[in-house]
Amino acid sequence: MPDQAQILPGTLDLLILKAVSLGPLHGYGILLRIGQISGGALLVEQGALYPALFRLVKQGLLKATWGTSENNRRAKFYELTAAGRKRLREEAEGWNRLAAAIGAALAATPEEV
Amino acid sequence: MKLLSSLRTIASSVFRRRRTDHEMDEELRSHIQHRADDLERSGLPRIEAERRARIEFGGYEHYKEECRENLGVHFFESVVQDLRFALRVLRKSPVFAGVAVLTLALGIGANTAIFSLIDTVMLRFVPVQEPQELMQVLRFSPDRASAPPTSGFTNALWEQLRDRQDVFSGVFAWDTARFDLAEGGPVHYATGLIASGNYFSTLGVRPAAGRLLSPANDQRGCPSLAVLSYGFWQEHFGGAPDAVGATVSLNHHPFQVIGVSAPGFYGMEVGSKFDVAIPVCATAAFDGKQSRLDVRDWWWLSIAGRMKPGVTPEQVTARLKVLSPAVWGSAVPQDWEAEWQERFRKRLLVSVPAATGISELREQFQKPLTILMAVVGLVLLIASANLASLMLARASSRSKEIAVRKALGASRGRLVRQLLTECLLVSAAGAALGMLFARWGAALLVRYISTRQNTVFLDLSPDLRVFGFTAAVAVLAALLFGVLPAVRSTRVSLTAAMKGNPLQGAEAEGRAHGGLRSGRWIVSSQVAFSLVLLVISGLFLRSLAKLVTLDLGFDRSNVLVVGANVHTANIGHEQRLAVYDEIESRLRAIPGVVSAGRSSRVPPSRNEWSQLVEVDTPNPPKGEDAVVLFNFISPGYLPTLRTPLLEGRNFGANDTAGSMKVALVNEAFARKFFPTMDPVGKSFRRNEGRAGVPPTVIQIVGLVKDAKYESLREKTPAQSYFPIAQIPEGDESEFFELRTGNRPSSLLPEVQNVVAQVNKGIALEFHSLAAQVDDSLVRERLLATLSTFFGGLALLLAMIGLYGAVSYGVTQRRGEFGVRIALGAAPGTILRLVMREVAVMLAGGTVAGVAMSLVAVQMVQKFLFGLTPIDPTTFAAAVALLAAVAVLAGYLPARRAMGVDPMAALRYE
Repeated sequence: MPDQAQILPGTLDLLILKAVSLGPLHGYGILLRIGQISGGALLVEQGALYPALFRLVKQGLLKATWGTSENNRRAKFYELTAAGRKRLREEAEGWNRLAAAIGAALAATPEEV
Repeated sequence: MKLLSSLRTIASSVFRRRRTDHEMDEELRSHIQHRADDLERSGLPRIEAERRARIEFGGYEHYKEECRENLGVHFFESVVQDLRFALRVLRKSPVFAGVAVLTLALGIGANTAIFSLIDTVMLRFVPVQEPQELMQVLRFSPDRASAPPTSGFTNALWEQLRDRQDVFSGVFAWDTARFDLAEGGPVHYATGLIASGNYFSTLGVRPAAGRLLSPANDQRGCPSLAVLSYGFWQEHFGGAPDAVGATVSLNHHPFQVIGVSAPGFYGMEVGSKFDVAIPVCATAAFDGKQSRLDVRDWWWLSIAGRMKPGVTPEQVTARLKVLSPAVWGSAVPQDWEAEWQERFRKRLLVSVPAATGISELREQFQKPLTILMAVVGLVLLIASANLASLMLARASSRSKEIAVRKALGASRGRLVRQLLTECLLVSAAGAALGMLFARWGAALLVRYISTRQNTVFLDLSPDLRVFGFTAAVAVLAALLFGVLPAVRSTRVSLTAAMKGNPLQGAEAEGRAHGGLRSGRWIVSSQVAFSLVLLVISGLFLRSLAKLVTLDLGFDRSNVLVVGANVHTANIGHEQRLAVYDEIESRLRAIPGVVSAGRSSRVPPSRNEWSQLVEVDTPNPPKGEDAVVLFNFISPGYLPTLRTPLLEGRNFGANDTAGSMKVALVNEAFARKFFPTMDPVGKSFRRNEGRAGVPPTVIQIVGLVKDAKYESLREKTPAQSYFPIAQIPEGDESEFFELRTGNRPSSLLPEVQNVVAQVNKGIALEFHSLAAQVDDSLVRERLLATLSTFFGGLALLLAMIGLYGAVSYGVTQRRGEFGVRIALGAAPGTILRLVMREVAVMLAGGTVAGVAMSLVAVQMVQKFLFGLTPIDPTTFAAAVALLAAVAVLAGYLPARRAMGVDPMAALRYE
């Protein structure tokens, strides 16, 4: 198993939005998708996903419909709403700015100071 | 309507919850199945795969709970759940629940009782149409700017104002009076309302039967008509319809009943209710030649009006000011001296809002009720502190339960909410029971402040404000005693609590936080608050004791006062003297009567009779300073009341209506008017202020000891006594005083007999002089009794708190004491150890309590008598009492600490 990092607080919502933006998914599928797109580096506790999903639905960022999964089981599928897409864009930009700033800060050398 | 729709929302949220719950389960299970599918594919047997999937998923119920919370449908549901759980918990510990509910019921009940009095006396609107439109009209004398505006008007002023005003859509006048319903002999009083014709219509009161008074009924020379109040109609006529048209006898005059007013209307005066109303014009029947309709310095009517739509209170005041010269100018008493007439013309009309009615009771009891409100507030604080200690102690025994629930996934916030729900439930039960106590307590209080002269009536049915107040107090109390224990008890360490020793979790926690520290300051604060109450009640008690034992200048014991009203007997002024002399001598002859006298006033009397007095000494007192209180007495008065004659002679049979005008004066009179010489033999002039009437010259024949006149608190005013034979016409009531060998009331039948032998028509009223003195102390007695009762309650609660805290501390430190004893500590050492704890709590509380008392006593200063607010005796006594009781409450559990068996304690540990 590769080294896995606990995700930063507050970033779970962003990861879920991103995962769902690539196509409608059920809960377990979202979990797999996060593992896949992060190269298996990010670990989400399985149960913890659901409170987040319910919150996002409540906030109107996701909408859910019941369907049938690839395993032929009944499952609830989530997809982005317009508001969700907008939020994803904003959060991603914010994150990138933060990451770039932190990156730059960490890359600083004594000569630059 | 709004209530209905919110009920529907709640109901649908409960319904929806079933469905969401079901869906949630399906979704989470689906997740686990998908995971199990993957695991199965990697080679695990299906059963093992499902087991692994469930473990990997984590706390199923915990996450489900979180999901529910995030959905938000959940709040109401969880409240119901909490309530159900709280009920179960409380049912399991009935003693705790009982003690808690009862303590709160007392605390909240006391607060509700006092508040409901404040509400009815001070805050509530009179039950009439649009009460906020009502304004009362008052009079104000610019030449006596320091005196507040007063309410009494003469009939002439009322008629002028009624006819000239243009700011009120309706304006009305009234007076309250006592009407004797009896036909003679012992009086039977009803509360009378003398109302102007538009009184009922302006207030918007409807008839329950017949019709009410109208302006047409209120014209000079009107027939004697009466309107009954609903309550009086029910009581005296059983609500019979034929009461309308019947005749009632009021002060021995027949009045025809024309109707009954609607239930729930008691009049404009808060604190009393009327029985019978008659029009203003009908008073002519009561008065002789000098009718109150015509006498222009008989101040008897109160006036109020309903503002026209769009008129503001400021406009009313401004307009009345403009109208003042015309109104006053047209009602000048013609027989007054010119200078006085001039002052009369300059008087003003002012106005104040009257939505809450008019009340003497309010002025009298506003401050005492505020003080009592603070007192019962403190009692509730102490009670809450007790419950907080109790909850803290309980928390330790519940720590295992809490740890288990925490381990099962309950969040701390959720647990705190659950515990607070328990507190709120207890508090709500306490409040419900407290409301019952309050109903009963408030009724008792009303009876307590009622006197012989003035039966207080208050409509105590609780209104929304009282309910709101009680609910707010209940919630506040629950937070006060619930928050700290709830927060503390949910801070358990899971591992310690689960490791078998249920107590260890909380106890270890407790020790880490300095043992009983929070328990200790709770007890200290109780001690402090109790001390404040003890000091205040001590001050009131000592004041009352000083008033009760005060030298009044007369001896109140064993004196029967017989009020006699000649007016009802149709005896003219000329025969009156002879009739009364006859009665007095017959009364004196009754076996058991030691002596008898009579007078126009009996002290202490609010009904003062005063006039300006002039003397021919250098720099005589002037103006207000020259006012002297009068009383007219028979020769028997001074010996009967045992007021000593210091010098000169008493009145005698030779002082008759026609003889020289003479007077006795008291020491205060002598000090004021004749500071340097002996007053006996000197003379003074009594100025009636009537135009063309020269002042009467009066010779002083004797000097008597100072005696109280109006109240016990007064600095004895200058007084003079005149022979009752020289009483001027106009004042009808006289009092007989009988000093008796035994209980004054035993003479009643014989007295009635004797008076009836002389004249059957004379109305009689009886009371003892001691009762009259007592009635004048009703406020002082109320404050002393209630503050002592609540002070005692507070002391008891605080001591229970102290006892509980020390007991709990001893239980917690059993192990430690066991070790100490095993190592050879003497029992005395252990005792000292515990008592030191008690001393620390007591000392802290006492210091804080004394500091708070120093502030609190300033508030009650006005009601003290003969002592300063910071009275060293009272403070010392309160501290001593508190310390003694505290040491006792601490000693009992401390003794148990000495008896700890080291073996048993160590084994337990």
